[in-house]
Amino acid sequence: MSLRHMRAVFRKEIWHIMRDRSTFVLVLLTPITLLFIMAYALTVDIEHVPIAVLDGDRSPLSRAFTKQVTVGDDLDLHTRVSSLDEIDRLLKQGQIKAGLIIKPAFGSDVMSNRGMPVQIVIDGTEPESGAFAMEQIGRRAQSFVAQRIARQGGPAGAGSAAAEPIQLHIQALYNPSLKPRVDMVPGLISLVLGFPALSVALTLAHEREHGTLEQLMVTPVGRAELLLGKMLPYLLVGLINVVVIPLIAVLTLRIPFHGSFPLFFLLSIIFLFAMLSMGTLVGVLMRTQPAALALSFLVIFFPGFFMTGIFFPLAAMPAEVRMEAMILPGTHYAIMARGIFLRSASISQLWPQTVALLGLGMVFTAVAAFVFRKKLA
Amino acid sequence: MPQGEGAKRSQPIIETHGLTRKFKETWAVAGLDLSIRPGSLFGLVGPDGAGKTTTLRLLAGLLDVTAGSATVAGYDLARHPEAIKASIGYMAQRFSLYAELSVLENLSFFAELYDVDPAWFRQRRERLLDFAGLTPFKDRRAQHLSGGMKKKLALACTLIHEPPILLLDEPTTGVDPVSRREFWDILTELYLGGTTVLVTTPYMDEADRCSRVGLMYEGRLVVCDQPQRIRDRVEGELIEVQTTAWEPARDLVNTLRGVLEVQTYGETLHLLVDSSEDRLPEIRIQLDEAGIAYQTVRRSTLRMEEAFISLVRKMEEGTN
Repeated sequence: MSLRHMRAVFRKEIWHIMRDRSTFVLVLLTPITLLFIMAYALTVDIEHVPIAVLDGDRSPLSRAFTKQVTVGDDLDLHTRVSSLDEIDRLLKQGQIKAGLIIKPAFGSDVMSNRGMPVQIVIDGTEPESGAFAMEQIGRRAQSFVAQRIARQGGPAGAGSAAAEPIQLHIQALYNPSLKPRVDMVPGLISLVLGFPALSVALTLAHEREHGTLEQLMVTPVGRAELLLGKMLPYLLVGLINVVVIPLIAVLTLRIPFHGSFPLFFLLSIIFLFAMLSMGTLVGVLMRTQPAALALSFLVIFFPGFFMTGIFFPLAAMPAEVRMEAMILPGTHYAIMARGIFLRSASISQLWPQTVALLGLGMVFTAVAAFVFRKKLA
Repeated sequence: MPQGEGAKRSQPIIETHGLTRKFKETWAVAGLDLSIRPGSLFGLVGPDGAGKTTTLRLLAGLLDVTAGSATVAGYDLARHPEAIKASIGYMAQRFSLYAELSVLENLSFFAELYDVDPAWFRQRRERLLDFAGLTPFKDRRAQHLSGGMKKKLALACTLIHEPPILLLDEPTTGVDPVSRREFWDILTELYLGGTTVLVTTPYMDEADRCSRVGLMYEGRLVVCDQPQRIRDRVEGELIEVQTTAWEPARDLVNTLRGVLEVQTYGETLHLLVDSSEDRLPEIRIQLDEAGIAYQTVRRSTLRMEEAFISLVRKMEEGTN
């Protein structure tokens, strides 16, 4: 191994990245842009669902209840209405997704523990928002009742305690509101970091197409020197993304970052190494850029999307597919990224993934160096 | 430059024995026996598809040999391809340098890969740039160079490690005549400096500037000699006929006694005849009798081009 050869290839490749506009955009700007688009478009957060309230009771209690229902980002009070017809009209116009009807007996029934006379109407053509509103109102109604009982100094008697329904207190740890974006964004990082890998594949195919590889092959440069010298610049550029993307995720997408950034950075280096090895292998196998692009999509992006557990849980996959998912660097990295972002996971919990990524990277690089010969045909 | 055992001046610096390369069903190089002495300017000529490019790629270690053997700079091609790579400068047919890199950056990139001493490189690059006429353009990106300048830059890059052997694959194809001439002046200078140059070319006037010429046909070397002696091999003497009515003129002279071969170059016919002294008046008379107007009918000297076409035609007649 000649460090001088490797440095020469490295420097040449850096010049290429900085001067060739399409490469620059592909490695540096595409991942960030794509993360934004996907984070906004693909996540299924439901927020700010507009509802109307028909308050037939108009007591302090019913007003307190209305307030409790509409506090926060989940449900927005669109209008207070005075008739069922108005709810009907607003639903048809699509201005609200649900209507909450508080019966005149609300105050007295709640005070005497006779239940809660409310009715919810939802827009069945948008089941997600409707069901979400129903669930939210139901959950808040329960806690409203519970708070009242607590304020009254416990259940009024044994009889009413028995009448109370069993309540499950489900608490979602680490992502209390169970918002999908919070766990998807760390996963998405593994997908967008596929672009440096794609660039490596393309640059190798580019050199083959343009005959510069032929010129390199007649020099004494070693195969490993050439491949590593080519991978390293893309690793460095990828690391810029590793710093910028979490910043964007935290600052603009409001994703929490609970873990250690140095650990995240270190593991990202290992992940990029594994990804770039995969890209190198693609570039070594394919002779033209279109072919390299097609194969990259086939082995890096499509499986990265569907099989790494970002959108579709690994647990839901058949055993064979899950095995296949294990040879994708993205699978391991998605677990790591989620762990560090949301659970403040440490290396003692993430070492299996770390070992897997190191192993994958070394195997892919070795295969690429083995397949790549300094020959034209 | 390190040279392998037995690479003495008297012995060939490039030698092949039955060198063969097969692509699927095609024998691109079929049992090539080549012997090039050190310090030659060797021109490999032949029609398209004769196997010139494949031969150069085999010698540069870019392709696997199907059969046969070769030694370059005293190293066996099969056993020491990397040692050969350090002793040769190879220039591919198409421009293959980095477009986004400047002239100087391309040079320094290859200097690093060839392990050229940095201090030595700083001296050498000025000489090379000067030599290639690229000094005023040293900071220009390769993509903005003219075709001729690109070729000169490619040559400069292959010379960076002072290889004793240069393998150049059609270095002047697609280059304007002035740049071509300049390029060949550079090659001649290298040749005079003792470098062995193996160059393929489709241009016969270039073959005339070589110290030796090998004619390849269907993967084999069919003639290999000094340019003058190759011309001497062609039977007959040359008569040039200039006429606008070249078609009837061609048909006529083809039937004449003593005319061995007719080659057409636009409106000029080149006739190979057994004796130009005897045939010249006869041809004039015949053309006049047939009523074919002509501008000139004169004796001329045989160029490499006529010799090449004549030899290839004989080859084709022999195979058909």
